[in-house]
Amino acid sequence: MQQMISLQDLTLWIDEFLRNLFGGTWALLIEFVLIGLALLVAYAVLALFLIYAERKICAFFQCRIGPNRVGIWGIFQSTADMIKILLKELIRINRADHFLFRIASFIVIIGSICTFAALPFAKGIQVLDFNIGVFYILAISSLGVVGILMAGWSSNSKYTMIGAMRSGAQLLSYELSCGLSLLAVVVLAGTMQVSQIVEQQSDLWFIFKGHIPACIAFVTYLIAGHAETNRGPFDLPEAESELTAGYHTEYSGIQFGFFYLAEYLNMFIIAAIAATMFLGGWMPLHIPGWESFNKVMDYIPSFVWFFGKTGFCIFLALWVRWSFPRLRIDQLLNLEWKILMPICLINLLLMSVAVIF
Amino acid sequence: MKALYNYIKNIVIGIYQLMQGMYISMLNMLRPKVTEQYPENRGKKQYGEWFRAMLVMPHDVENHHRCTACGICMNSCPNGTIKVESNMIKDETTGKDKRVLNRYLYDLGSCTFCALCTQNCPFHAIEWSNDFENTVFNCQKLVLKLNKEGSSLMVKKTENKE
Amino acid sequence: MKEPIEKIAELYNAETTENGGRYELTLAKENIHDAAAYLKREYGYDFLLEMVGMDYGDTLGVIYYLSQSTNPAPLLVLKTSTEKSDYPELYSVCDLWDSAEFYEREVYDFFGIMFINHPDMRRIFLRSDWNGYPLRKDYDANPELNPIPHRNEFLVDMERVPSITMSMGKEIETTRSLFDHDEYIVNFGPQHPAMHGVLHLRVSLDGEVVKSVDPNFGYIHRGVEKLCERYTYPQILHLTDRLDYLSGTINRHAFCLCCEKALGLEVPERAVYIRTIFDELTRIASHLLGWGSMCMDMGSITAFIYGMRDREKIMDIFEETAGGRLMANYSVIGGVANDIHPNFVKRVKEFIPYMRKMMKEHHLFFTGNPIARGRMDGIGYLSKEKAISIGATGPGGRASGWRNDIRKIEPYAVYDKVDFEEVIRADGLTFDRYVIRLDEIEQSLRIIEQLIDRIPEGAFLNKPKGVVKLPAGEYFQRVENARGQFCVHITSKGDAKPYRVKFRSPCLTLVSALKEVAPTHKIADLIMLGASFDYVIPCIDR
Repeated sequence: MQQMISLQDLTLWIDEFLRNLFGGTWALLIEFVLIGLALLVAYAVLALFLIYAERKICAFFQCRIGPNRVGIWGIFQSTADMIKILLKELIRINRADHFLFRIASFIVIIGSICTFAALPFAKGIQVLDFNIGVFYILAISSLGVVGILMAGWSSNSKYTMIGAMRSGAQLLSYELSCGLSLLAVVVLAGTMQVSQIVEQQSDLWFIFKGHIPACIAFVTYLIAGHAETNRGPFDLPEAESELTAGYHTEYSGIQFGFFYLAEYLNMFIIAAIAATMFLGGWMPLHIPGWESFNKVMDYIPSFVWFFGKTGFCIFLALWVRWSFPRLRIDQLLNLEWKILMPICLINLLLMSVAVIF
Repeated sequence: MKALYNYIKNIVIGIYQLMQGMYISMLNMLRPKVTEQYPENRGKKQYGEWFRAMLVMPHDVENHHRCTACGICMNSCPNGTIKVESNMIKDETTGKDKRVLNRYLYDLGSCTFCALCTQNCPFHAIEWSNDFENTVFNCQKLVLKLNKEGSSLMVKKTENKE
Repeated sequence: MKEPIEKIAELYNAETTENGGRYELTLAKENIHDAAAYLKREYGYDFLLEMVGMDYGDTLGVIYYLSQSTNPAPLLVLKTSTEKSDYPELYSVCDLWDSAEFYEREVYDFFGIMFINHPDMRRIFLRSDWNGYPLRKDYDANPELNPIPHRNEFLVDMERVPSITMSMGKEIETTRSLFDHDEYIVNFGPQHPAMHGVLHLRVSLDGEVVKSVDPNFGYIHRGVEKLCERYTYPQILHLTDRLDYLSGTINRHAFCLCCEKALGLEVPERAVYIRTIFDELTRIASHLLGWGSMCMDMGSITAFIYGMRDREKIMDIFEETAGGRLMANYSVIGGVANDIHPNFVKRVKEFIPYMRKMMKEHHLFFTGNPIARGRMDGIGYLSKEKAISIGATGPGGRASGWRNDIRKIEPYAVYDKVDFEEVIRADGLTFDRYVIRLDEIEQSLRIIEQLIDRIPEGAFLNKPKGVVKLPAGEYFQRVENARGQFCVHITSKGDAKPYRVKFRSPCLTLVSALKEVAPTHKIADLIMLGASFDYVIPCIDR
């Protein structure tokens, strides 16, 4: 554990340097700006990478090669797409509610960025870390539904309206399972602080530590989280064969780009939370008793562990997405209220029992 | 109790069936890809040799074609794709008027590749080629002249050989 | 067969003639509805296969092809005519057969015959502001009369639907509105990812639930039937591929069969075998695409790509032998255009085991999927009686338990020499319509497997001498294409060009089946139901 490369030294050094140079208040201000910039850049870069990864993996599932024209293996494809999106005209919709129409995309992306900030990316790299971290993540990540409802309502189109209403029903329901399955981890950890949850997994990850209840919570969280991101098989709000593009049918240019970015980053966030809560976040794989093995594992940098685990969860999500047909709205609600919810509740009970005894 | 048993059984069966679907998609992920890499596979991919991509008029080395400008192809074409322009020229040996091909115009843009022209041509003067890369920037350029400059009708001898 | 004809002839004063084994009854226009009702009631003629509008020169007429679901092979033909005026009228039969609703609208659109008691006398394919009735022989095709419009067709939600009813011996023209004032109407199409072309559905919704559906056609209407009157018979052939482009080879086969029957032309055995193999390959390709697009409409894009991947193998086989992929252009009058490629037999033999293996995967991948099953089970019930009345032939009707496979009813080509099953399912639900296609692929593979080694040697083409001129008369041929019964009706006056050609589109009735089934289901189901009937829009629009 001690040998592990920590990025905390680096951040502390920057902090000290700035304090020496400008003094306390200014240093804090500059740090805020720097952190904000770093988050936004990381957000955009990750989104571009995820779009590329999704297109490639989707292609592989479909016996295709995927993007392969822009750059070698098409790695600049999503960059090119983003440039195209930036250059596109923002179409003004007739008889739309322009104020809501404009801010909807911002609300969606703000919700997503705020959640993004609370993720522990590596040892020592976590922007927001306070004692109700899990609660904060759950609360702020459900802000996106407001934006989606606004977008659907304000577009003055019947397709977007139906899409938004579906989205409202879907996100409200799945928020429950999402929260309940994370609650199982909180019960196990005894804290809501994300950094402490990760620290507690230093000897063994929660998915192994928590026995069967943790495994069940992991699966239910992945399903519910997947539904939260509005991606297939839960992509009813934008079901392209029914509603063309659902709530963002009328958007163009960078406003559409925001929805698009937020969609991909939400996928990342859900996967990252699953990795943090159940698979130990940036914590390397430690098995009690295997000291030499644990030491070898420690030499792998913590951000590799984090992104590796997150990547695994994203791959699972993509695998599911490109294998299954879309659910109908009643099936979707049945799945939540009749299957996931009871399972989560019973699982929470089991977990409590397991923790007490 | 039975209801609970069925409930759990359905969930387990459902998960098993979902896993089957995921197994198939993973199987396909590991298989070789089936798409063709178009500009790269030029010359490598085998197209069907009888593929109808474009009408051509074969010429031999001495710049002779087989078209007698009879116009059967023009009449059999449903879309007016083919236009045969001919001149009447007095044959020096027999002294009779003889039809000689001037221009054989083929409008690729209105061709539906029904092959009635090649099926009906009594002299096998036109045939289909595999050359499908016919994109041009201007639809006037789709009107092609099939007989080469200065070409003339193949002499009888070669026809008899067939 | 004799009895109903004599009875009708006696009761309704009909003229009886026989044409190619079919009995034709010519009735006065006053009697047509009563005679049809009598036939349906007393003799079980519950399936109106086809309505052909005709312009006889001085009169306008309609030809009805009737059939019984219990004894589907013999067809009974009813003919009637009305005076050629600005407002010719006939009695509607759409209270007897649901399929007549669209057929009569089509006849009205092209010949201007108003049908009394028809609930919805709008034009079906052409714009409502079109001048003239195009298939009348005196139609003025002057482009100034119908200039290219620069404005959208006047299609509002509150559209008034005209109809004519008879009351106390007087005609009353009425209009009613299609939708109520406060209904929530969503347009699906003409440009929509799930409309399989350019179909326009106006759907009245109650939340997520569909209340009613109003299909609009004609967005790619090309006037094929009108074009046919200007083409010689070999030239018409290239249009048949472009009706239902997914079963183009089969449509072409139908037209060739019709012409060959009329000419009395002997088709070489080799050509017949090759045609049958091509038909079945086309059917597999079409069903694969149908399966794939149905899966895609349910959100599984991967399944669509798998379907396309397997279909590509068939397209490659077509490309090699026929020289075309989608438009194979292979059958010609008297045989096939060219001999099969030397690789053909080998490649087809390779394809059969490949396809069988892939079918297993497709079943595992999609049929067994609980989400897919949950969406298809118990949804979209179409009863057998309704399927017959609507005339939903093909897999759509067979899923409801209606035996309507022409390959079994009147075997053409070599279908009487091969051993295969007509796939029938009893329930009439979406899942049946889904799985019936996959089962039909199995049967088609069986047919190909039996035939591929038995292709006889010999000539592949018996070219008709000179210009093809069908002897004067009416000819009719039906075949089973991938979507249902595809029928060709040719009226010839002995010229090189036909007097009237009518193609029966199996897809038109499938849309009325959708219209029947869709209400009370959800939007997602509407899309899926449309895909389960697997209509192809160019076939409807012609």
